[in-house]
Amino acid sequence: MRFLLRRLGFFVITLWAAMTLNFFIPRMMPGSPEEALRQRISKGGVVVTPEQLRTVLAEFGFDPDKNILLQYGEYLKSMVTGHWGVSIGGSLGTPVTTLIGDALPWTLGLVGLSTVLAFALGTLIGTISGWRRGGLIDGIVPPVFIVTSALPYFLVALVLISLFAMGNNPVLPNDFNYQQGLTPGFNAEFILSVIKHGILPAGTILITAVGGWILTMRNNMLTTLAEDYVRMARAKGIPNRKIMFGYAGRNAFLPNLSGFAMSLGFVISGTILVEYVFNYPGLGYMFYNATVSTDYPLLQALFLLVTLAVLICVLLCDFAVFLLDPRARTKG
Amino acid sequence: MRAIKHVAVTVVAVCVLAAGCGGGDKPIGSATSSNPQASTSTSGGGGAYKKGGTVTIANVGGQTWPCQFNPFNPAVNQVALGFVYEPLTFVNVLKAGATTPMLASAFTWSPTKDSIVFTIRSGVKWSDGKPFSADDVVYTFNLMKQQPALDLYSLWTGAGLTSVTAAGDKVTLKFKAAAEPYFFNFANQVGIVPKHIWSTGEAASKPATWANPKPVGTGAFTVQSCTSNNISYVANGSYWQPGKPYLEKVQYPAYLDNNPANLDLASGKAQWGGQYIPNIDNFYKSKSPENNYWFPPTANVAIYPNLDPSHKATSTLAVRQAIAYALDREQISKIGESGYQPAANQTGVVTPTFDKYFDKAALTAAGYDKPNPDKAKQLLESAGYSSSNPLKLDIITITGYTDWDASLAVVKQQLAAVGIELSIQDLQQQSFNQKLFTGDYDLAYYSQSGGPTPYYELRQLLYSKNSAPIGQQASSNYVRYNNPAVDKAFDAYASADDATQVKLIKEIGAAMIKDVPLIPTTESVDWYQYNTKDIEGWPTQDNPYAQPAPYNIPDVGQVLTNLYSKSAQK
Repeated sequence: MRFLLRRLGFFVITLWAAMTLNFFIPRMMPGSPEEALRQRISKGGVVVTPEQLRTVLAEFGFDPDKNILLQYGEYLKSMVTGHWGVSIGGSLGTPVTTLIGDALPWTLGLVGLSTVLAFALGTLIGTISGWRRGGLIDGIVPPVFIVTSALPYFLVALVLISLFAMGNNPVLPNDFNYQQGLTPGFNAEFILSVIKHGILPAGTILITAVGGWILTMRNNMLTTLAEDYVRMARAKGIPNRKIMFGYAGRNAFLPNLSGFAMSLGFVISGTILVEYVFNYPGLGYMFYNATVSTDYPLLQALFLLVTLAVLICVLLCDFAVFLLDPRARTKG
Repeated sequence: MRAIKHVAVTVVAVCVLAAGCGGGDKPIGSATSSNPQASTSTSGGGGAYKKGGTVTIANVGGQTWPCQFNPFNPAVNQVALGFVYEPLTFVNVLKAGATTPMLASAFTWSPTKDSIVFTIRSGVKWSDGKPFSADDVVYTFNLMKQQPALDLYSLWTGAGLTSVTAAGDKVTLKFKAAAEPYFFNFANQVGIVPKHIWSTGEAASKPATWANPKPVGTGAFTVQSCTSNNISYVANGSYWQPGKPYLEKVQYPAYLDNNPANLDLASGKAQWGGQYIPNIDNFYKSKSPENNYWFPPTANVAIYPNLDPSHKATSTLAVRQAIAYALDREQISKIGESGYQPAANQTGVVTPTFDKYFDKAALTAAGYDKPNPDKAKQLLESAGYSSSNPLKLDIITITGYTDWDASLAVVKQQLAAVGIELSIQDLQQQSFNQKLFTGDYDLAYYSQSGGPTPYYELRQLLYSKNSAPIGQQASSNYVRYNNPAVDKAFDAYASADDATQVKLIKEIGAAMIKDVPLIPTTESVDWYQYNTKDIEGWPTQDNPYAQPAPYNIPDVGQVLTNLYSKSAQK
């Protein structure tokens, strides 16, 4: 029990530290919300003084002249109570929760799905190539994917765009989450459009993420295959397929699981570069926009979400270890 | 990709084209006018058109729509003003500030120009059927007094507005001093809102932050539906201009990036663009004979030298003169801006838009009409620089503004030829702003918005009250120019008559030549593309009845009431 309590206490302290950083780091960025706003509206020929914009922003709850510690106290309170305020950037006045609510499904859908897919695919390939060590699959697939996983996201993205999305009638679209002009709804046209728009960004994540899973799974497989119980299973004449998945694969899979939990935690931050290159209106893209327009409330809420997601996943992982590993229990 | 988007953002607004300047159009302040159609729809022959058709706008906002239509919220008024809300009087920057009566059918200045009487148009209805009256106008202006956050143009604080009162159909605005330069703001940029809506509920308690999802206005269009991806406007059936608008619908999709917007413009899927399109002839114009573009110049893009004595080189007049003489602006325009932005001149008066104010003789007399590298070299020598002691300068610019980078590459070459080593520092937007505003730079490359006469841009750039000591944020005079004679000219402008105003601007232009507080290179333009396959009635170079880009407010309202569909005429 002490182990669990200690973990919970650690969770709370880490969260507080992260939230403190989340408050101060955006405020240390160069630039200010009124400058960003001024820059943006000057496009239409509207000349508004920074002082006036500050008055406007004050209406939306932005008050930089207030004591910073007081602001910090209010910030902590509002973060905990869920009153995240309204955007003071590009979507001036829109509640932060609405903005995030709009973007979250797209990121969860795109990045979440492709992370799960990458994990599943990587585990499968790793299992097979570990089983047939030195075979054709083992000789070709892992090296190829290890190379691709070392490539940066944006490079893969740009290569994919130039292969599939260039010219007048591109095979696949390179922007946005669905065809502009479609009304979101549960109909074939819309769903098809969403899938088409998701292929390239998802492909980018898949190509760069799958290599890591293949490598670790393959190596785990090799270690497990040397275990006595696998030899025993063979001696008993159990079918190969069953040994591969039920005996070796199942045990090799366990260490990978905790890594997977961690990477799920990072899904929420979106893959900023992927969403940026493909203009995919998820959290990553929103992150970028919020930074550019020095949108403190939105930045704070996004940071909080990312922190929470990672910490909760780590916590769950700890609990899982507690349940699965007797040593963790006795040590505590 | 992203880089290009930022380019469009740099583009400022306001003004242009020789065609209208100095012609028979009424300049600001010369009182009343009568029929709105007379000055607006000349392109189509002035006749009425049958209703129908849809126009789709492609203008990158970089984010999805928040579906808010509060005309006082500077982040969203671009989709509210002109579409739903209308000003008292439209001021056409492209025709030297010619006025078109909108919600006010006429106006009269007092002789000292410190008070103005608007005659409010009768027979106008709000889109919910309630009648519009002088009360609404008074309410709108007084609301801005009660809520300083709504007063975007600081009318009550900066412009000296003291009272707004109604008597019958007349509304009187009184000012502390001559207020003619603010006419552009209070008559043209303030959208009038309905009292019966804004005096109740959330609109009354929090007018600045109110989302206003279903706006009620007097404009030609109303919001039919809004999703984060698209706004649909539909024609206002009870619009006060008879027969207008001709179009049935306006679609305004949210484009996050230039790429899809430019593709949709090229394919004709969107017909009205406010986009920077690289290599536009090839990418856009060649795709269809019906694809057209026009880039009216609006303001200056300039090298900002830091005039504070703590910056020794740039505060030396000879150095600034040397730079101004060394530049071949035609070349910068041609190579750096692909010719889309024309070359600027040292007087700071944008031509041909403001030719009336442009003193070509003074420019030629000073030798700034063409590049003069020899003179530049002499000046540098006189300032103590030589090949053994070369002048090294840093210039800051904004990363992602690719056309500016190209321009600066040309500038660098031209300056190298006279012995100045220029190094270009691409800074991220926020860092750039910080340095520029607080005066932490030697040279900066930048551009600001203009107005219906050169006064507006030059006042921002050069008026000493817009400056601040180094280390503090200046509001717009970032070069820290301080010349009492120039200040006096700006002060005198407000109450001056038309001829004196021209004279004053020329005086300021002369100071630009003498002191070189700023070195203009090219003229920033409005990006504007239009497709004539089905839609006609566009503003063109020959008929510049409004600033043409969809991001120009409230000009967008003028364009929308003049567009018509060819297929609907059959």
